[in-house]
Amino acid sequence: MERHLTAPGVRIRGLTVVYNTPSGELPAVSGVDLTLAPGTITGVVGESGSGKSTLALSMLNAVQPPGRISAGSVEIDGLGDVVRLRGEELRRTRGRKVGYVFQAAQNSLNPLKTIGAQLLDLGRSHDVGDLRALVRDARELLGRMGMDGARVLDSRQHELSGGMRQRVGIMFALVLDARVVVLDEPTTALDMITQATILRIIREVHDERALTTLVITHDVGAVAEVADDLAVMYGGRVVEHGPVAEVLGAPEHPYTRGLIRAIPRLSGDLGLARALPGRPPTLGTLPAAGCVFRERCESSLDLCRTAEPVPAARAGRTVACHLPGPHAVPVKRKEYA
Amino acid sequence: MITGTAITKTFRQRGGVLGHREVPALRGVDFAIERGGAVCFIGESGCGKTTLGRIIAGLETCDSGEIVIDGTPMSGLSPRRRRPYFRRVQMIHQDPYSALNPTRTIHQTLRAPLALRARQTGRPKPWIDARAEELLALVGIDPGYVLPRYPHQLSGGMRQRVVIARALTMDPEALVADEAVSMIDVSLRLGILALLRRLREQLGVGVLFITHDIATARYIGDESELYVLYRGQVVEHGPTETVINEPVHPYTQSLLSATPVLHGLERPGPDRIVPTEALDERHGDAGCLFARRCPLATERCERDRPVLGHDPAYPTTQRHACFHPRRRQVIPLAAGA
Ligand SMILES: Nc1ncnc2c1ncn2[C@@H]1O[C@H](COP(=O)(O)OP(=O)(O)O)[C@@H](O)[C@H]1O
Ligand SMILES: Nc1ncnc2c1ncn2[C@@H]1O[C@H](COP(=O)(O)OP(=O)(O)O)[C@@H](O)[C@H]1O
Ligand code: SF4
Ligand SMILES: [Mg+2]
Ligand SMILES: [Mg+2]
Repeated sequence: MERHLTAPGVRIRGLTVVYNTPSGELPAVSGVDLTLAPGTITGVVGESGSGKSTLALSMLNAVQPPGRISAGSVEIDGLGDVVRLRGEELRRTRGRKVGYVFQAAQNSLNPLKTIGAQLLDLGRSHDVGDLRALVRDARELLGRMGMDGARVLDSRQHELSGGMRQRVGIMFALVLDARVVVLDEPTTALDMITQATILRIIREVHDERALTTLVITHDVGAVAEVADDLAVMYGGRVVEHGPVAEVLGAPEHPYTRGLIRAIPRLSGDLGLARALPGRPPTLGTLPAAGCVFRERCESSLDLCRTAEPVPAARAGRTVACHLPGPHAVPVKRKEYA
Repeated sequence: MITGTAITKTFRQRGGVLGHREVPALRGVDFAIERGGAVCFIGESGCGKTTLGRIIAGLETCDSGEIVIDGTPMSGLSPRRRRPYFRRVQMIHQDPYSALNPTRTIHQTLRAPLALRARQTGRPKPWIDARAEELLALVGIDPGYVLPRYPHQLSGGMRQRVVIARALTMDPEALVADEAVSMIDVSLRLGILALLRRLREQLGVGVLFITHDIATARYIGDESELYVLYRGQVVEHGPTETVINEPVHPYTQSLLSATPVLHGLERPGPDRIVPTEALDERHGDAGCLFARRCPLATERCERDRPVLGHDPAYPTTQRHACFHPRRRQVIPLAAGA
């Protein structure tokens, strides 16, 4: 339990991020409150466009124009409010204090330089004293992810497969010994065995180094085994947040229920699984008032059209839904037998 | 009906310091797709799935072996005479984003192949637009909404449906769906899978479904067959539900074990195994192709190559290529059970 003493906590409060569009500034993340308990892995899940990557960027105060953080704070123990950091201080935070792999990181490596040269650049830019130790750590991390570390460091981007690049990205996120790590879609488009290997390593390194980790994915399965907590995002809101087994086993929010029912599974009744009806919202199609999910919700009330539900504690988690809980028609376990 | 017999394909790759090296992508693969039937090929990346799909769709030639379409062997025909046969096999790619021309409306995209089809079959002009609407309705999207739009204005799920509609313009006998749902939000995958199932039932279209996510193979409809491909060899083949529920080959068991368990809903299968080493194409070719990664490998496995078939000492429904077959319960069980 020692890790709980040293891993930093993260408190996101009232975070709103807007993008400037032809129809004015529209929020991609709206007033999000989210606490990452020290030493935990939190999975953030939701469909494309729900604001997951924007949230990830905010953790590093790295939202780029036409976007900006318009309100709120991201407090990290030992760092303060990341949203207020500027210039040199911010640059040093990224990578060293908060490690990250952004979505599509597999295409973000420099095509001209070897991975090893890029590693040394990273070390120098963060004034790492012992570059040899840095290379050793990198080799070790790559080795644990099933690769020949020395060979990978000698390679250029085009010589590596998609899965290898993704693992190189994770190595970069971890190698500077950051204590908060943000991984955006770290296993998307990888085959199952590679995914399982990467998730196992994320969990091991997380435990060894006393990290606080955020893993973002559109695929609940990709975090179901690795995460302690699950935060479900829809239309820029966190609609449900709680311990992973409880959220999956007895989802409270109708969106969470629909998302889980839509997962193709190896066991269980085929007939009960179905795709979530309707389309994921975009910035322009989000309803202006009421619950953001109401148009796709199978149990919406009159109230849902006019009032936005406020996240509230119930059933050991936080839920933003007007329906009285615990929900009257819980997902029957039998459905998944 | 489409059959393949003893299909082989070897690629020569430039291997840096080592000069050229040969990569056997397919080592004698047999299969048969009945009218309205479905066969699924699963395996890690690099196992030869795409190569096989491309050969069946006539986009690649095999080194040896025979593809027979409706009783006509392709090897005896000139490339020009083959074309009308291979037109009956349409490929649906993984990436619905790059499969459609971004500068053309959906109407233009569908019109071109339908105009060709109209000439081939002597149909009048008005048939073209009527057929475009009919096909879009068939794949479950509103023609009025989609026809005037450009691909970027559609969601990923809609785009994949348009790609399927375009494949149907050729009245294909079979569709080769290569990771056709991998890049689509998990929440929408079952919708596309249900569509493929419906095309089998309503139009009698055969489906060759290629995936690394075995769970999706269950949703392709009744009487589907599963082929497990490892380094170009089929190592297990039988009815999809049998292979998933009672796999006997350690490789199939590794693949199934890698599918994440949804804690809260499921618990791990009692015999779940963790694959040891990542796939490395440089692994030697002696003995069983899986021996280097197999937890059960014996001396015999290192020496001899098991062939696909049945073991009289251990009767199974499915065929397999393993010296030590054993049924294992590796897929998740319901949490309560
Ligand atoms: N640079 C940008 N300009 C305008 N809109 C954007 C930009 N980046 C993201 N968005 C919009 O913000 C919303 C949230 O996007 P994102 O955070 O990428 O979601 P996710 O990662 O969950 O798919 C989406 O509607 C997306 O279209
Ligand atoms: N055009 C090509 N040139 C050289 N090697 C290739 C080519 N296409 C595929 N390969 C090799 O053949 C093997 C099988 O590849 P592929 O059929 O794409 O597998 P999968 O679709 O299962 O990932 C791999 O080792 C791959 O590197
Ligand atoms: S033949 Fe031997 S090495 Fe190959 S899968 Fe079976 S037990 Fe493993
Ligand atoms: Mg994203
Ligand atoms: Mg492929």
